[in-house]
Amino acid sequence: MSWLDVLSAVLLISGGIFFLTGTVGMLRFSSCYSRLHALTKADNAGLGLIALGLMVQAESLWVALKILLVWALALLAATVSAHLIARFSLRVDRGTQRAPP
Amino acid sequence: MENIYTGLALFLLLNLLAGLFRVYHGPSAADRMLAALLFGTTTVAVLLLLAQTMQEPALRDVALLFTLLAAVIAIAFTRLPRRSVGRSER
Amino acid sequence: MIEQWFLWGFDALLAAGLISLAYQIVAGRHMFRSVVLFIVFGLLMAIAWARLAAPDLALAEAAIGAGLTGALLLSAYRSLITDEQESSPPSAVPRWAALLAGCLAGGLVAGIGWVVVGLQSPQETAGRLALQNLADSGVDNPVTAVLLNFRSIDTLGEVVVLLVAFLAARVVAQDINHAGPGDWLRASHREPILVGPLISFIAPMALLVTGYLLWAGAHQPGGAFQAGAVLAALGVMLRLTGRLRPTTEPSLIERSALVGGVVLFSAIGLAGAGLASAVLEYPPGWDYGLILLIETALTISIALPLTLLFSGSGGFRREVR
Repeated sequence: MSWLDVLSAVLLISGGIFFLTGTVGMLRFSSCYSRLHALTKADNAGLGLIALGLMVQAESLWVALKILLVWALALLAATVSAHLIARFSLRVDRGTQRAPP
Repeated sequence: MENIYTGLALFLLLNLLAGLFRVYHGPSAADRMLAALLFGTTTVAVLLLLAQTMQEPALRDVALLFTLLAAVIAIAFTRLPRRSVGRSER
Repeated sequence: MIEQWFLWGFDALLAAGLISLAYQIVAGRHMFRSVVLFIVFGLLMAIAWARLAAPDLALAEAAIGAGLTGALLLSAYRSLITDEQESSPPSAVPRWAALLAGCLAGGLVAGIGWVVVGLQSPQETAGRLALQNLADSGVDNPVTAVLLNFRSIDTLGEVVVLLVAFLAARVVAQDINHAGPGDWLRASHREPILVGPLISFIAPMALLVTGYLLWAGAHQPGGAFQAGAVLAALGVMLRLTGRLRPTTEPSLIERSALVGGVVLFSAIGLAGAGLASAVLEYPPGWDYGLILLIETALTISIALPLTLLFSGSGGFRREVR
């Protein structure tokens, strides 16, 4: 095993741990908002670490860039989705009262 | 190295199936939806790992499509009329 | 060695998860839960296609599952719970009828399975033949070669089916407005603040990915159907956020885009009778260019009816905001 393999393995396994944290948070936390908070952070960090771990092993620069693009798009989608779901949930909780944007 | 890829993919799939508990028991519509979002991220990670271990570069394109279109479902979900969802879900 | 065990466990878990999810979706009483479980089912299905080394199908599943069916089911759920008050709950199926149907279906599956297990595997399959003649097709991707060269009559038929489905839906359609942006556009409920930046980033990215899939179809997994589905998903997103407004009648441009793929495909196919040896045969040397041209027209002719079917309208106009 070269040092690159070791680095990649460490990144991948810590990514897996982040995913586990996200799942545990989603199952154990008590309110919708804390669950949202737990998993949008934890699993995007996990995806980022796994993407980095795969990028150091990538066969070409383009492959590495594509993996980076996947992660960037995932971050964007997760940000907007978490915002929309939290906003929706807030409105359901408050009835017809207007939620902050 | 291959052991780590496949082992991690298996571990992520286990994570996903464990998370189905949240989809199943809710309690609110938003809880079910956010669980589905987490699964989207997990699926992307699994696809990236499979692309590496199966030598199938097109699977990275599949992961790219999932992340590109992940927000569509969240936007469609937010269009649900909130009062009826609040009534039927709580 | 241990890697094989991991993969075996992965596949077993995936199969078990798919089957139990499918059961929950159909048998569950809770409608919204079934909708979300169906979205998750689409994710697992894409992984299953990936494991079966069928990235073309995984691409189609990703584009259609994430971009179209999820949004379609959520919109349908929305109109169902809005209409719930007026309609009475559907009457339950009597137990004996359910048992009878279950027994008959089970018997049919068992019978077909028994016949299939007993079949001899053929020596010369069409798939092997297609792979042998790949060099003559003009493209390097065997799936595109089959879809647009060896069996192009099937593909033409499928595009016609999509067009007919759209026309039939228009014939029976009422004024449907469930797919729209809901109460975001009312003065008291502004659009959430992050949606604008998301659209302005995703829209060019989706166009880029559409072009990439179209171009990639010639030599790696991709092609007109996947590209069209991505473009349709972009249309769904624009429709959901109120960037596109429904109109009852399609404009001239939309009409020509709807039929463009079929017309171009048929015209080139008929021209093949004179210029090449047979109908739907490409003149030698022109395969690659003609296939790319047809695929481009097909992408638009696939994306537009899908988006219009989702929106339940005859056409679109741009919303001036």
